[in-house]
Amino acid sequence: MALSAESNPMRWPAGPLDIALQEKTKGFTTDKAAVLRNWLDPATLGILQGTPVNTLVVSWAAGLASDNEQQQALTPLIEKGRETGVGFVGVIDGEANTSKAIAAALSAGLIAVAMEGEAPADAGIPVIQRNADARIRWSGKSPVLSLSNGIWPGIPQDVNQAGGPTNLPWVDSNGATLRIARALAPDKDVWIEFNPPQQATAQTAEAYMLAVADPASYGARWVVSLDDGLRADLSTKKQPAMDTWKKATGMLSFFKEHNQSKNYQPMGRLALLSNFSGDDWGRGEETLNLLPRLREPARVIARSRAASASFDGLQAIYYTDQEPPDAALRAKLLAFARGGGILFVPSKWANPEGTPAPAEAYLLFKLHTLGKGRLAVCKEEQPDPYDLTADLQTIMSHRYDPIRLYNASSMNFFYETSAQGKQGVIHLLNYSRRPASDGPLFYVKEPHRTARLVSPELASPAELQWSPQEAGGSELSLPKISVYGAVELES
Amino acid sequence: MKDELTRREMLLGAGALLTMPAWPAWGSAAVTAPTAKVTVGRCMTYGPELVPTLSKMFDQLGGLDRMVKGKTVAIKINMIGVRSQRLGTAPMEETFWTHPKVIEAVVHLMGVAGARRIRVVEGPWSSCETLEEVMLSMNWKPQDILSAAKNVEFENTDHLGRGKTYSRLMVPGGGLIFPGYDLNHSYADCDVFVSLAKMKEHAATGITLSMKNVYGSTPTTIYGQGAGVDEPSLRPHGGRGGVFHFATRAPSKSAPQQIDLTLPKDAGYRLPRIIAELCSARPVHLAIIDGVKSATGAETNYGSRPQAAVNPGVLIAGTNCVATDAVAMAVMGYDPMADKGTAPFANADNMLHIGESLGVGVRDMGRNEVLGVPVSQVVFSYSAVRDKILAAAAKKA
Repeated sequence: MALSAESNPMRWPAGPLDIALQEKTKGFTTDKAAVLRNWLDPATLGILQGTPVNTLVVSWAAGLASDNEQQQALTPLIEKGRETGVGFVGVIDGEANTSKAIAAALSAGLIAVAMEGEAPADAGIPVIQRNADARIRWSGKSPVLSLSNGIWPGIPQDVNQAGGPTNLPWVDSNGATLRIARALAPDKDVWIEFNPPQQATAQTAEAYMLAVADPASYGARWVVSLDDGLRADLSTKKQPAMDTWKKATGMLSFFKEHNQSKNYQPMGRLALLSNFSGDDWGRGEETLNLLPRLREPARVIARSRAASASFDGLQAIYYTDQEPPDAALRAKLLAFARGGGILFVPSKWANPEGTPAPAEAYLLFKLHTLGKGRLAVCKEEQPDPYDLTADLQTIMSHRYDPIRLYNASSMNFFYETSAQGKQGVIHLLNYSRRPASDGPLFYVKEPHRTARLVSPELASPAELQWSPQEAGGSELSLPKISVYGAVELES
Repeated sequence: MKDELTRREMLLGAGALLTMPAWPAWGSAAVTAPTAKVTVGRCMTYGPELVPTLSKMFDQLGGLDRMVKGKTVAIKINMIGVRSQRLGTAPMEETFWTHPKVIEAVVHLMGVAGARRIRVVEGPWSSCETLEEVMLSMNWKPQDILSAAKNVEFENTDHLGRGKTYSRLMVPGGGLIFPGYDLNHSYADCDVFVSLAKMKEHAATGITLSMKNVYGSTPTTIYGQGAGVDEPSLRPHGGRGGVFHFATRAPSKSAPQQIDLTLPKDAGYRLPRIIAELCSARPVHLAIIDGVKSATGAETNYGSRPQAAVNPGVLIAGTNCVATDAVAMAVMGYDPMADKGTAPFANADNMLHIGESLGVGVRDMGRNEVLGVPVSQVVFSYSAVRDKILAAAAKKA
């Protein structure tokens, strides 16, 4: 099988190179080494049967003495995989000789290699570039780009962390990063790598389900990675481990079956526009992290694509970059504001257009009336990210909220619609991984004809009833959700 | 007498008798804790019956025109708590917040009675958004309130708002925890102060009625967890727990500081005193309690408590917050004379008792004039609802 949009990856630590890479780490034991040796056994591929996992990511070369031994040791596993439709991606890391490692990969029949840094131009095999999020790059020859520093989704253990002074907890999500990657490289499939936190007890099934759902709901794939305990227990087919594995892969299957939103576009009345690189990465990413906590769905526009991007349906655009836009983009943005939109810009925006307008003193933005709309210039060079995000929402006004979410303090949602807007899906992710005391409740400004909830936690889709509101809009009451559900809307 | 008050509090209470509040006390010139009129109205819905019921109740209190004609009125509503956390599907206004129809009706009647200006005030949970924005976020129609009378305006009092400085309101007699409070100008720039509360229980203080509603007047720019250390912050950040509940931090140094830093750091001790102080420093001229629909169990949805949305179908209004809360407690099935250790004051001192000691009002219903529907006809036992929930849970288990 070739690397494709259908590839469902899983990290498969096994063999002498993984032992060499891990043996100097704290807590490494002979038992763990035994598990890593055991996972070279082709019979271990049996756990993949009936699951969507079809691509194993293995350590291939790291510039260590055990590189050759590793490649030899993997041969039976690779051959067995080929028979069962499983492809292998080799990770080239550290001081490895890239050319030699790629040649060995071609010889061994790997479907791709993955590495950090610049991909060789003439590799003869897809090279998946592994990027830290603030430096997203990709190779034209690979259909996949991979983000190497994802985070294990959930609610951080530090109870003092809050998503702002709203009493909503902070949640660790990969959503912001993945949305930026999707905007920068819309024609690529995005993989994201993160490992379970090492802890005394194995992660719960729900934790793995969320690890799958968090990237998948944003259209990306998690490179499945198991904790040591689960890997060891799966080797011996212990029932709790098998149950966890079944639930985790069940979530993978769910997203494989419910992929109709693959070509949907993220929706929101606000768009963030940035090049999302260098110093500008943090501003955009943090705002995109905070907007879901304020229940403000948003779109992302890469600056490189802004010239051809449609601003239709937007109420506001936040141009986040410190570097000013070129003349053409500035003109396009100002035309959007003059036409009735709100254009938020950083403090470095030179010679603000329009007429100064009155505004509340506490706001981080100075407002200018511009045609039918407004230009909002940030007063501070380094504003508090939460306050800034809250002000975006305040200036836009709740009057125009497209969606609101109640009874879901540990949840985020992500809204997408089809090109014509007739179908939509609201992804709902619960980062606490356990149901709240009350079921989530959505307010939708423009109700659709039908709404149904699909979730791997439900035996069958649940038809949802619209509850019209006196002041307009309608509400949808959902059953309790532990990890993930999607509200499918149809007009 | 089962008395939890300290000697200092008794002395301060006595002091309060001699040191009359600096505020013009509407409708009362008494030198002791004033007795008052309280009226009870039956009202099952927020429909057309609301305005006539309230109108009749205000007439029973002596007429709104006598109170507000030509005056600037500040109406403190209750919109506290995390607004995204409802109790099941019930909207906030049917559980924890003052219902907009009640606000609209009161504003309308104030306008009819000749109020010169009506300012609806509240410090919604740690937000500098305008009240209009907060209402819009809950799918309310703020314009209905703004247009219910002439010269109606909103002000978020969780920060400086439209004022140039904060207004300092001192506690007559010197206070128990704090000698005074710095509040948004709206609480000083008014002739008549109305506490328009919800009929609720409270996790820490047992009840939250018209007295506790005044607690929300304190700006978190000064009293919040993220308040400025020396000066108030520009924006509200965090709740009041650190300063008020547990004394883990001080208010901004620009504001009056705690009298004695060795005082207990226990919310059950501190909050009733702070609430009573606030009601002493900023007297409530008219207390109105929305008990048409409400929630039992706590002031907001805790998730883990036995709570339910309920329909007691009652409105209570009075010319004194202690007296009005006493009647509301009786309607809720509680004894306003109860003290710490007796429901609803499981872990807290009775704020009414402390208020009485500060000369704010009288909690003994027999000493106040209770009008309207007899309390016995509208009793809605909050503890019975809780018992029913617990019994059902036990049966299910």
